[in-house]
Amino acid sequence: MNIIRIIILSLFIFTQSQADTIYNLIKIPNLEIYEINTSNKLRYLYAKQPFTIGVDNNINCFNPEKKVLDEKYKIIQKNLNRYNQKFLKKINLKYIVLCEDLSISNINTAGIPDNVMKTLILDIRFDEKYFERVIHHEVFHIINDSYKEVFNEKVWSNFNVKNFRYAECSTCTDKLGLNTYSDTEGFFTEYSQSTASEDMAEVFSHLMIGSDLSNNDPILDKKIQFIKKNLLKIDKNFVYD
Amino acid sequence: MIKKIKASRSEKIIFVFIILLATFSFGSFLLIKDKCLFVKSYDPKKIKFDNPKNIAILNVPCGNVIIELYPKISPNGVKRFVSLINTKAYDDIAFHRVIKNTLVQAGDLEFGKKGNIDYGKIGTGKSGLGTINSEVDAPFNFDKGSVALARTQKYNTEDSQFFIVLRDEPLYETEYTPIGKVIYGLKALEKIKYLDKSQYVLRPDFINSIRMLIN
Repeated sequence: MNIIRIIILSLFIFTQSQADTIYNLIKIPNLEIYEINTSNKLRYLYAKQPFTIGVDNNINCFNPEKKVLDEKYKIIQKNLNRYNQKFLKKINLKYIVLCEDLSISNINTAGIPDNVMKTLILDIRFDEKYFERVIHHEVFHIINDSYKEVFNEKVWSNFNVKNFRYAECSTCTDKLGLNTYSDTEGFFTEYSQSTASEDMAEVFSHLMIGSDLSNNDPILDKKIQFIKKNLLKIDKNFVYD
Repeated sequence: MIKKIKASRSEKIIFVFIILLATFSFGSFLLIKDKCLFVKSYDPKKIKFDNPKNIAILNVPCGNVIIELYPKISPNGVKRFVSLINTKAYDDIAFHRVIKNTLVQAGDLEFGKKGNIDYGKIGTGKSGLGTINSEVDAPFNFDKGSVALARTQKYNTEDSQFFIVLRDEPLYETEYTPIGKVIYGLKALEKIKYLDKSQYVLRPDFINSIRMLIN
């Protein structure tokens, strides 16, 4: 019995000290290593316990169920393996935090990118239908945040019809639908119409998952070319397949 | 006439016991006070090294810590470290950030010098030589005893501060610039003064000296 107690206690001590290292690196508490031996050097971490971070503690996420975590990790890793180590270093992405029921100011969200801390928090319970696409959507936010000058929002906004205006922020609108339009009219989804940066992220994510782009939509064509051209400025070998 | 009183047997036993107790207490006090008592100090002259020109000897309160530097892994990092060693810049510099059984950090030349410590600014000081670029791309196993250059939250801000990990830290690979590994004397670093409630140490231990084995 005593041996069992010692083992449990030593596991607890190990867990705590390891968590401190992670906190020192990315300032998110209660995380554990899930997988760090990856080909592109991404470090996958998961929430051992719920955590709260951000301004006024407005970002919350909960510890995932082991079975779901194992399943979703495979999908996430498959998708993120498409970005090589060199590219990830350029865009400043290194840590992937896996948790469930991620919310910011009580609004559920698929992911929270933070290029300064090199971290992307992903909600592994996010809608299955869009799950793979939103992974790339969030990666684009990291790219965009690291290369603001490359993805000029004014130039982008000019692609739209004259009287169109984006909202002030992505949560300042009720345009949150993620279904891909069959009749695009300049936008892949309803959410694309929220802000320029969300619009760019939607175009990028549709490119990454190989959506049908033969839509005879001149506005969308310009947007696709804009994303493709500017990504090559960051990495001349970048591919979408 | 004074009558001589002989101590009884039990009184003799108590007297001997008190003497023994006093000796033991005094001895224990001295032993416990000497934190370096069971720490072996290594004499680099008695050790044969494969690459003697890459060996640095860090002398701390509990003895010598022998570090092998890896210029092939981080040429600029090692070059900076050695140049500061050669100018004796690290002598009398504090181990200002110490986390028990995790890491010791030193090398703030501006605010960490013995006799001139600035507790308000320690950890933010510069060497005056400018920053150097991070060298984090080469594979490196950040196991116990690894020596690396410290930096701010941003890459390419390495200067003079360095740290040594006292446990395996796999997440530090590609995060910090590794410059070497402790090959002897890690125990002496485990005895560096730390505080339980703070990573930053008040009245810290100091580096006595760091010297290259071959100048």
